[in-house]
Amino acid sequence: MRSSPHQSRRDLLKLTVLGAAASVAAPSIVRAAGKPLTMMHESSFIPPFDAFFKKDLAAAYEKATGIKVNYDVVSVGGLLTRVTTAAENGSGPDLSTVGFNWAFLFDEKLVDVSDIAAEIGKESGGWYETAQEAVVVNGKWKAIPYANIGQLMNWRTDWFKQAGYDKFPDTWDELLEAGIKLKKMGHPFGFELGHGFGDNHGWLYPLLWSYGGREVEADGKTIVIDSDETARAVDYCRRLYKETMLEDCLAWTDVGNNKAFLSEQISCTNNAESILWAAKKDFPDMAKVIDQSENPKGPKGRFHMLNPQAHAIFSHTPDKQAAKDFLRWLMAPKQLGPWYDIAATYYQPFLHAYDDAPMWKVEPRNLPYRDALKTAHLPGWPQPLSRAQSETIAKFVVIDMFAKACAGKSTKEVIADAKVQLTQIYKTA
Amino acid sequence: MTVESLSPALMRRRQAFSLGRWLERESVFSWLMVALPVAFLVALVGYPFFYGIWISLQNRPVAQPGVFIGLGNFIADWHDPVFRQVVLNTFVYTIAATLLKMVGGLGLALVMNQNFRFKNLTRALLLLPFIVPTVLSTIAWQWILDPAFSVVNWVLVHTGIADPGPSWLGHPHLAMFSLIMVNTWRGLPFYGITLLAGLQTISPELYEAATIDGAGRFGRFRYVTLPLLKPIIFVVTMFSVIFTFSDFQLVYVMTRGGPANATHLFATYAFDIAMGAGQFGQGASIALSMVPPLALIILAMAIYMRPSKS
Repeated sequence: MRSSPHQSRRDLLKLTVLGAAASVAAPSIVRAAGKPLTMMHESSFIPPFDAFFKKDLAAAYEKATGIKVNYDVVSVGGLLTRVTTAAENGSGPDLSTVGFNWAFLFDEKLVDVSDIAAEIGKESGGWYETAQEAVVVNGKWKAIPYANIGQLMNWRTDWFKQAGYDKFPDTWDELLEAGIKLKKMGHPFGFELGHGFGDNHGWLYPLLWSYGGREVEADGKTIVIDSDETARAVDYCRRLYKETMLEDCLAWTDVGNNKAFLSEQISCTNNAESILWAAKKDFPDMAKVIDQSENPKGPKGRFHMLNPQAHAIFSHTPDKQAAKDFLRWLMAPKQLGPWYDIAATYYQPFLHAYDDAPMWKVEPRNLPYRDALKTAHLPGWPQPLSRAQSETIAKFVVIDMFAKACAGKSTKEVIADAKVQLTQIYKTA
Repeated sequence: MTVESLSPALMRRRQAFSLGRWLERESVFSWLMVALPVAFLVALVGYPFFYGIWISLQNRPVAQPGVFIGLGNFIADWHDPVFRQVVLNTFVYTIAATLLKMVGGLGLALVMNQNFRFKNLTRALLLLPFIVPTVLSTIAWQWILDPAFSVVNWVLVHTGIADPGPSWLGHPHLAMFSLIMVNTWRGLPFYGITLLAGLQTISPELYEAATIDGAGRFGRFRYVTLPLLKPIIFVVTMFSVIFTFSDFQLVYVMTRGGPANATHLFATYAFDIAMGAGQFGQGASIALSMVPPLALIILAMAIYMRPSKS
């Protein structure tokens, strides 16, 4: 049936339009129904987001093309294991969400999608530069980034006001000052310093970067963690912990700070949009006095964590073109726009066409998420994507450097520990 | 002529007869009986185990072919400060939890062996920690030890013992202590019930004889109960050591190895390296590093707790 990929794509687009206009007519002129596709996703914090795919998007695609798309939801935290299994065994889902540097890790098991990435970029106002940091491997797009799930400062406006702050402190030093006051008033801070997946990296890497600290140079080899800049960041972190925080932060996994914030134990934390979302649903009064702000500035600038979500196609997929066609269709504004809307900016687009999309007006407190994208990087930045980067994360080298300092070890000691670990990781990787 | 015509039939009968007899020989029959379980073990335990050894000798990143590097991964582990801490953590965790379970379980069994009202109900309830899925009970424990909602801290604060209550999972030593407590809580019933079964096999006549010989309460325990219980204590302890040493769920749910690796064990660390970092070879080498110390502990126990010959 299919003569060339381009032609089929044009057919497809035509069909999509037709399908929408005359939904009854569409199935009859569809090409022979292809094999069903399976897309793997991590269970969304925003349940309607998953439901929209299953009910609306998959149905629309099946109507337009006759191809059924299964949506396979994986519980939070389990996606990497599932992607690993699929890539290793060469079987399972055809497409999956990938995060962090997985496009690099699974490079050889993923299909090159540079062509549709270019088309999507052209269609939707161009890609954010940061989008490419995670998915471009050796000059090729190995996944199509669809969203960032950013991390911001979440804070209680009522308590900050009592301490004399109308807006969020602009620098880390001012934040410390505010925290000392707030802790005295019985409203300590709480930032994750334990072994979670996200909320620890979400503020500790930006803190390190904003003081000028780095693990490794851009060459991906020279280890530079042992610097005065790092030492200053560590010293700062220890003070912030001792003088403003709850002791338990050291043991928190990712739920710890949400729980503490929503139970009014803490006045400020670093988190994704989930706190505000949950508060609006369950504690509407508290939701009114929550705000979200960009991370404070350090001596070397302001930084944020990049938490990219991208769709990749496994190379074991029998019909790669069908998977690409689907992805191309999914990323068109007609599909992607409503999908984003459902989650009201919990997923922040990497495409400039959405910069002023109406969804940003639904909750203006989410606007900093859009602005934070410009200064967002992956853990390990500025080095290129690498296996060592993954190992550093899995071993919590940077997180534990800060955590050990907070637990009482000397700055010198914790940096030396981190240096030993990094040296070993980058030597063997 | 007659002999010739008879012989094939005879031979056939003898052959069939001998096959049947061969099958009925105890040594053959017993092997036949265990063949299926052995096949299962080889497929589900043996194969992964040897495959694990093979992988541990390679530099094998996820989604890439492996390169044989000999003992390179094990040497790298040796130089890894976190690995050393993991070794220490695992030993502290196993020894402390096993001892607590052993002493507590024995006490529990002795109490349960007495006659009192609702004995059977109490015995059944005792098994609860063992029956509840670990992940669920661990989440309950997470709430019990939670800084804001902890019942323990609520009691401490309201009785004026401590204000604010300690951070059970936030302090490195306390976190390890908490995990040992939760592990003990979970493993105690296993000890208790098994030792209780052992206690009930001890003939009351032995106690009577010991009493006549002038043994007191302690003497009876020391010279009758303990020696007779020794083989069971050995078996239970062996199981317990193996399970505690390779514990995963408890740590993974409660702390994921934090704070700052203070509660990382072999299994959790191996999982993080293999799955999180995508370094299968190194992950396998960490997991396999469990085998020699475990073998040594079990060997030492086997020698020490060997039932006396008399």
